[in-house]
Amino acid sequence: MKVRLPLFLVLITGILGALPFIIPHSIAQNFDNEFRNTVIRIIGAFSLVLGVGSIIRHHTYKITHKREHWQYSYVLLISLLISAVIGLFGGIDANGWLPTRIGSFNFDIQTLFTYIEVPLGATMFAMLAFFMASAAYRAFRARTFEATLLLIAAFIMMLGSVPLSNYIFPKLPSFAEWILTVPNTAAKRGMGFGISLGTLATSLKIILGIERGWLGGTK
Amino acid sequence: MTSVWEKLTKIDRRVIYFMLLVVIVVPLIFPFRLKPKPMPPVEKLFNYIDTIPEDKCLVVSVDYSPDTEAELHPMSIALLRHAFARHKKVGVLCMSLLGLGLAQDALTTVTNEFNSRAMSNADSIVYGRDYVFWGWQQPPLVPILGMGENIASVFPLDYYGYRTDSLPIMKKIKNYNDVAILVSIAGSAVPFWYITYAQTSFGVRIGAGSTAVQAADFYPYLNSGQVTGMMSGMKGGAEYEELVEERCNIFGRRKATDAMSSQTAAHIWIMITIIIGNIGYFAMRRRKK
Repeated sequence: MKVRLPLFLVLITGILGALPFIIPHSIAQNFDNEFRNTVIRIIGAFSLVLGVGSIIRHHTYKITHKREHWQYSYVLLISLLISAVIGLFGGIDANGWLPTRIGSFNFDIQTLFTYIEVPLGATMFAMLAFFMASAAYRAFRARTFEATLLLIAAFIMMLGSVPLSNYIFPKLPSFAEWILTVPNTAAKRGMGFGISLGTLATSLKIILGIERGWLGGTK
Repeated sequence: MTSVWEKLTKIDRRVIYFMLLVVIVVPLIFPFRLKPKPMPPVEKLFNYIDTIPEDKCLVVSVDYSPDTEAELHPMSIALLRHAFARHKKVGVLCMSLLGLGLAQDALTTVTNEFNSRAMSNADSIVYGRDYVFWGWQQPPLVPILGMGENIASVFPLDYYGYRTDSLPIMKKIKNYNDVAILVSIAGSAVPFWYITYAQTSFGVRIGAGSTAVQAADFYPYLNSGQVTGMMSGMKGGAEYEELVEERCNIFGRRKATDAMSSQTAAHIWIMITIIIGNIGYFAMRRRKK
């Protein structure tokens, strides 16, 4: 039952998800609308509960069993609790019933987002620039003909994607654009066909119960 | 003893990091403005939005999170400035939960700019009349397909908790038939979902704003006409800012253009390090021979 029920559900929902795209009849379309607008939304809401529950359970386990870096789990759980309470009861523009201002100090959800979430997220992504610079210096060697082609293309793209090239080589941005429009598109289309066919085959295998890795376990 | 050439191939990574930090920070403190030249994909997007008919609206889907804020947020601001300058109706939604705060920030920034200059209520940008912020709906397939049928039923309440069907703007925006173009700004695959589902099923025009690293993925769709126009990376944002300032006479802080000096310096530094590494590599190879 533990295996058959999920397989049956996947078979039914997989077929029902695909049919409305090829059957324009109102019954199929109305059923699809209802399925999308009601059933999927309810499942989505449950997945949110499941996600929050799972993260709380995971970090509580780390704290109670003193796993590696367990101290950080406190930070996560406290942050989750504070932002959830402020977000749920403080309102969007500090107009909820929970006061989110002490004197001139605001701590409404938008303020928390702007001054904590945004800088933290931006910092994580900004660090990539340093790793990329170091990796480019170490790995970009014109060892072979192909590597030299890649190097030249990278130089054209790097120069072409800054306005300075308009002043030095006015035709370079257009050439960079040509690289993206012609050779890049040709390669991407080929890859796209391959990926789409692979996705189609894998989806069919999952719907028909041939591929069962997503069920978890080994039996 | 290591030769000079060998040293060139083994520069300490901390030196590279420090120099990169310098070339990024110094132009931010002392910026030199480089006038960007708009490329065809950006110009196409601008021209299409510029000619949106009265009875249609622009939808901006803020689908990025704070990690790509520096690159993509200026695009949202430039798009909103353009739309409001031309008195186009605007609908905003998010496919990323973290996009909500960023969309709210972009809307607040731009509406404040316009309203501080407004001489009358007609000049002002009013919520519910000129724009609407639908918020976020999960999972993405629900709003993407559902908006083709009825937007108000997908978003019964807007981001601020008002009933969407009570807002005057929603009398004119029922579904994708009333949307001239939907521009998805994302550092992820969200614009592809719009192309696959919204455009294929309902024929709505799609525009895109993407990070520079992801831009190459959109060119096949741009060539086929499935994407009307796009902004790629910070340069795309700077080009759109340039068009808005030049053609709409809307002046405001141009974050993407300001950051271009820093990006230019960083690109040049990375190119210099690659050249240095290759000089060392070839000199050593010749010696070995």
